[in-house]
Order: sequence, then C-alpha cells, then structure tokens
Amino acid sequence: MDEKIFAKKDIGKLLEELVPEYKFYSPTKIKGNIAFKEITDVKEIELDYLNSKVPPKDVLFPQKEIIFEYRYEGKDVIIEERKDLEDKILIFGVRPCDAYSFKLLEDFFASGDFQDDIFLKKRENATIIGLGCNSPRQSCFCTSVGGHPFQKESTDVFLSDLGDTYLVEAISEKGENLLKKLSWLADAKKADIEKSKELAKQAEESITTKFDFDLVTKVLDENFEHPVWQEISESCIGCSSCTFLCPTCTCFDVLDENDEYNNRGRRIRIWDTCQSCLYTLETSGHNPRPAKIQRCRNRIMHKFSYYPSNYDCLGCVGCGRCITACPVNNELRLIIDKILEIQEKNGEKVSA
Amino acid sequence: MTEEVVESKQDGSKKWEPKIIAFLCNWCSYAGADLAGVSRIQYPPNIRIVRVPCSGRINAYFIIKSLTDGWDGVLISGCHPGDCHYISGNLVARRRFAILKELLEFFGIEPGRVNFMWASAAEGERFAVLVRKATEIVKKLGPNTKFEKKW
Amino acid sequence: MGLETENKDIETNLREVAKGLLKDKKVDVIIGYMEGTLPMLSQPIIIDSEEDVDKLIWNNLCYVNLAKYLVPRVPKFVDSEKGNLKVGVVSKGCVGRALIHLASENKIKLDEIKIIGIPCNGVVNRQRIEMEIGEKEILEVSVSGNNVIVKGKDFEKEFPFDEYMNDLCKTCKIRKPPLVSKSPDLCVGECEEYSNIVDDFSDIAEFEALTPEEKWNQITEELSVCTRCYACREACPMCYCNLCFVDQNKPVWFGKTTDLPDVFVYHLIRAMHMAGRCVACGACSLVCPMGIDLNKINRKLEKIVKERFDFTSGLDPDVLPPMVDFKMEDAQEFMLEED
Repeated sequence: MDEKIFAKKDIGKLLEELVPEYKFYSPTKIKGNIAFKEITDVKEIELDYLNSKVPPKDVLFPQKEIIFEYRYEGKDVIIEERKDLEDKILIFGVRPCDAYSFKLLEDFFASGDFQDDIFLKKRENATIIGLGCNSPRQSCFCTSVGGHPFQKESTDVFLSDLGDTYLVEAISEKGENLLKKLSWLADAKKADIEKSKELAKQAEESITTKFDFDLVTKVLDENFEHPVWQEISESCIGCSSCTFLCPTCTCFDVLDENDEYNNRGRRIRIWDTCQSCLYTLETSGHNPRPAKIQRCRNRIMHKFSYYPSNYDCLGCVGCGRCITACPVNNELRLIIDKILEIQEKNGEKVSA
Repeated sequence: MTEEVVESKQDGSKKWEPKIIAFLCNWCSYAGADLAGVSRIQYPPNIRIVRVPCSGRINAYFIIKSLTDGWDGVLISGCHPGDCHYISGNLVARRRFAILKELLEFFGIEPGRVNFMWASAAEGERFAVLVRKATEIVKKLGPNTKFEKKW
Repeated sequence: MGLETENKDIETNLREVAKGLLKDKKVDVIIGYMEGTLPMLSQPIIIDSEEDVDKLIWNNLCYVNLAKYLVPRVPKFVDSEKGNLKVGVVSKGCVGRALIHLASENKIKLDEIKIIGIPCNGVVNRQRIEMEIGEKEILEVSVSGNNVIVKGKDFEKEFPFDEYMNDLCKTCKIRKPPLVSKSPDLCVGECEEYSNIVDDFSDIAEFEALTPEEKWNQITEELSVCTRCYACREACPMCYCNLCFVDQNKPVWFGKTTDLPDVFVYHLIRAMHMAGRCVACGACSLVCPMGIDLNKINRKLEKIVKERFDFTSGLDPDVLPPMVDFKMEDAQEFMLEED
C-alpha cells in the first residue's frame, strides 16, 4: 500500500484542487452543531470534531428532496427530472460508522424490483473520505455491530488523524484514482503507519459498551409479545429525535407542492418517522400501530431483527446518536439490557 | 403570486400595486361594501373580497396562509362589538386578532400587513375610508417577499 | 446555601413524602425523575413500591415536563383490575401548572392525581453548556456552591448557575406548584398559593425594541436549523391534538418541508396555539436535537395574556383560558379606525 501523508494546514490546497470537479462536503459548524455542508471557503471547514449532529446520510438522502418538478404550458404538462444527479460529490471526514451506513442505505434503496435512482445515482457519483475515530464516545458501540473506530472497508480513501497530519490510504479504485490526481501528497514514513495502528488499537480499547447482537436478534425473534416492551416504552414520549438522527433510518413521506399562481408544482420527499402515531394510519382509518408500545418495539425490531432477516446484517452502525439525543434518556443500551434480561431470567447466561 | 403592475392611464408609468385579501363578514361588512358600491363611493380596487358568515369564522390559518401564498396584505372586517349577528362571534374573534397581531409583530412581520376593522352594513363611507387607509399602509410596506420559496 | 445542599434537601423531603403516599395507599404509582445514564440527562421513572422511593432524585437536569405522561394520546395509567390508577406526579412549579391547566381544559381529572410539590431551583441550559464545551465529550456533571462543574477527559469547566440556567427559569415566578383552593387534598409536599404575580417582562424588552427586519432576521436565524422532527410538539404537555395542524391534509394548510417559510409558519402557528396555555417549562427548547431556543417566544406568549387579559396559565382549574372566553370591554387599540 502506498500510504501518503498531508498536513492539516494544507487542507486548503486539497479543497482548491478538488472543488472544480467535485461538490466538496465537509464538517462545518452551524449554530454550535457540526453538520456536513457544501464548502467553498476553507475557513468553514471544521477539523476538530467528534461527530456531526445530523449524520452525513443528509448529503445523499437529504431531509427535503425534490423528486421532479412540473409546469403547465398551455394545455401541456412538462415534467422536469432532476439534472444534478450526475454531479460528482466528495464527502470529507466521514466517521467509519457513518461510512458503513452508506452501505446499509444502498442495500435498502437498491433492493426489490424498484430501485431508487435518485439515491443510487448520487451514491455512485460520491467519493467518501473516511476519518478514523481517535476518541470514541461513551455512547459509541461500533465494535459490537461488526464495526471498528478505524474501519476502512466502506470508504474510498481513509484518513488517520496523527495530530498535525493525516495519514492517507486509498481503499477502493475510486480512492486510488483520486490520490493519483493529488500528486503533491508526500509519502508516509513507517513511523506514521505505526502511529495509526497504535491509535486504532487505543480507540478500540476505549469503547466500553459491548453487546452480543447475535444473541439480541435471537431473543427479539422469540419475544415479540413479551411484557418487557411495556417497561421499555413507558418513558418514551414519541419525539422521534432518535429516528431523525439515525444514519440508517430511511422512512420518507412524499408530498406534492402546488404553486397555482405560477402554474407549476413539484413532488418532494421529506423524512418521516415510524415513531409518529400517524405513520401507519391508513386511509380507511385503521392503524396497525396505534399505541406507543408498538411503535417503540417496531424501531428496535427493525434494526436488530428485521434487518438481519431481510439483508443479512444488522440495521445499526453503533454511532450512538440516538443514545445522546433521547430527551428522556430511554437509551438503546438500557433497552438492550432489558431484552437480554429475558434470556437471563430463562436461565441462560448472558454477557452484556 | 403574480406581481400586479398597473399602467397609469395618464402618463403610462408602471407602478406596483399591492394585492390585499379581505375577509368580510356576511351580515355587516360585506353589506357595507355593497352599500359603498351602490352609493358610487370610490375605494381602491386592491382588495379581493372573501365573504365569511362571521368574523368569528376567521382562523389564524386563513391569515397566515394568505401571507405565505404571497398576498401583500390581509384585511378582516366584522360587525361592531355588540352587534354581531351571531351575538358573540366578533368578540371571540377580537381576542384571536389581538394575539395574532402581537405575535406577528414579535416574529418580525411588518405590523400593517394584517389589519382588522369593524364596519356595519350602514357604513358604506366608513368602509371605503378604512379600505383606503389599509391600502395606503400596505403600499408603503412594499411587496411581500418574505415567504417566497426558491424554485 | 449552595446548590448541592438545596438539591439534597429537596430530594430528602421528596422521598419522604413519596414514601408516605405509597404507604398510605393515597397513590398507586408515582412518576418522578431518576439518575440518567449519561451526564446532562435524567430519566423519568414510574415507581409503585416504597422500596423504590430512593431512586427518585432531584438535580438541575430534570427537564422533561412529567405532565406529558398524563395527557390523552398517551396511554393512561390503567390497571386491568383497579381501573384508572391514582398517580402522584413529582412537580416543579411548571409541571404543577401544566397539570392544573390540563384540568381546566378537562383533559385530566384532578381527583385522579396528586401533585407532589418540590421547590424547583431551576434547570441547567444543557444546549448552551454543550455548545460552549464544543467538540469534547462531557463525562461528569456536578454542582457545587452556585456553580455547575463539567468535566471531561482533559478539561474541567465551571459555569455559574444563575447565568447558565434555562432562560425561562431565570424569570420564573412560580417555582412551586400552585395550591388549588377547591381541591385542598390535591397538593402535597411543597406548594404555594399565588395571588398576585408581578412580572415586568424586562427580559424580552430588548428584543421587542428591534425593528421588524431585525426581529425577522434573528428569529429566522434561530429557526434555520429546524429539521421538522416535532420533538418540541411531542415534549409539550399542551400539544395533545389527535391531528396536528401540520399533518392535516384536507386541506393542506402549510408545508412540511425544511424550507424557511414552512419552518417559520410551523413555529408561528404553534406559538399561536400556545397562547394562554404555555406554562413556560422550557421542555420544547431543551428536547430539541438541534438546540433551537424558543424561550423568547414563550415569554412573549406569557406577556400577551398577562397584559391583555390578566391571565396566568395553570393557577386555577376553574378559570376559563383566555382563548375560550371574551369580554365586551376587551382592548381593541389595534383595530383600524377612521382618523
């Protein structure tokens, strides 16, 4: 592997070289929160951060997205499809958990007979530059879901933060081509690579939350109607913060916006949440999930039971955003503990 | 909303004219407007009238939706307090208007975009005077561009 | 008296009262707060036995308005044998006000609850502290003297509580739940009678003096990060409509997108619906995942109903809220008049 190195202060050079070809997205500070936004000015880039509030799925699957626009011309209706799906996108500084979430999103939008072109085209044209986590949070648990604070597989180029410099490794073909263009990058020394490995080891050891999710899936599959769900959903207020900040949540609502005065309109999609009592309300008036307990249970089952059944992998990347966002502290780790207790009560030993 | 640009017949100069939506209660204000018309009292043509049974029918949604749709001004007119055809509809409305007016001002929407008035069925002249006043106020504020969406 | 001692006293008294209520079977369950798993957070807890009473805590991180758990749309405390359970609610002033106001709107029955009053000394403005600490993980929060001490892996910072408490707590005049003369058994613990509340609303005077353009700019800037998750609506005890106005589709009144006009209108109309009902608990701002501050708006709502109708929400379950009442003499200085 030809690892390269570049100094953090040269980030402006990187931006300058890439901006003409790519839409450059990087972490930036907006009203005190870190967010991934399109950057044109190097001063806006924020390199000292833990993770963004809203996950980078927002770049490829935004909160509000136009599906198509239409307008009337006389008696004709002209439909205008999206023209910007072929634009090249570069997302800088994605943590490994969020990078892995892009794979889960791809699985979702590409499955079945109808592929979601809007997301998939953007994903195809997107280059992910990942960044390893030197200090995972208390609420992080990527190692329990098959991830790692320095996991490189889902990125195109992987960076390790060595202090004043980044160690740069090309992971995919897209990444290799990108690095070839950046010919000014210096070669990395052996010491740099060793330091990166050391940081990866330290980061892995600092993660305190560990769960055996294979066991969790098994217990969930067998206990859909267990009374523990009453206890789990008691304090939930249905605020949907967890679903809005989750990197793998994909539910959306489709709306039509009409601008009658100007003879035009558009179809848009916005994020929706399974935690809303209206989510499953049918036109007939029947609601399969009228009670909060059913909605709370649905979210957990979706991530840890339905995803393994349908996609052969867990639907959670261990980023911990839902844990820090929940206003009533009804956090995932407590929920998993309660679920695993069912097994314990049945006499089997569990490790949690 | 399409911009209303009116060409003056005198010298051909073009001027922006505000578009004001007016919710008039059926029993007093609408009849008052009718009387103004029958008496040939001139008042600005900027208002577009929507007839409602009572000023108490006015929901905040009507007013806010008018602003978001691009109307430059909103005018609501009802019977004088004590004279409501439905006894207390306008009294209920008056409280709503008070709160809405203060909240709109607090949120930064220019006071003057939304106006409320009382006009009875016999007050054709008063109706015309107040509509003229409201139109002048809105004209000074200029077009309502705050709620335009990017297309 | 420092915060530590204050909180300890409140906790001790609270646990004693709670124990007594459960022992004498005056309530079936008690909702209160317990220690959170992360610093900066507390959890609501429902206990039904005396042994669990020591789990109840009071610290300045108890944000959630517990009255939310009693509104319609949320499962009632119902037991298959006993029917409706009698619930004791650990109440700061604003929680007590919320319960009483809900009773005035006929949404809960006061004889099915007990308000366990505590003399609230304010809650921490968690978003402000997190923003100032920046991108470093907070590992421990404690109080000492009149300061909130925040520790991380390689930092320790002190924040004066008077400055860093939630803005609404700074101007709060109703720190203990109000006594209801009609229901003398309703309130246990520390409650107070409020007869004449004086509030000059000087904290929002500076904002009110700005020009409309400046007000618009400040408010839209604050609301610009809204993701329309509706956490504010779900945390508010007064938002209990079966179909919220944003979800209506016959007709569609306002957009549900994150475009600025749609976001602005959502918060404007929600504020309008809160007039005369908001109890200024601050839960809406404190649960917002993006850290939006709605405190000024809530203060303005309180000001409007106090100055126009001499009304403060949540003091008396028999007084009609101002939006369902009217008087011939209501002020109408805002009406257009002939010169």
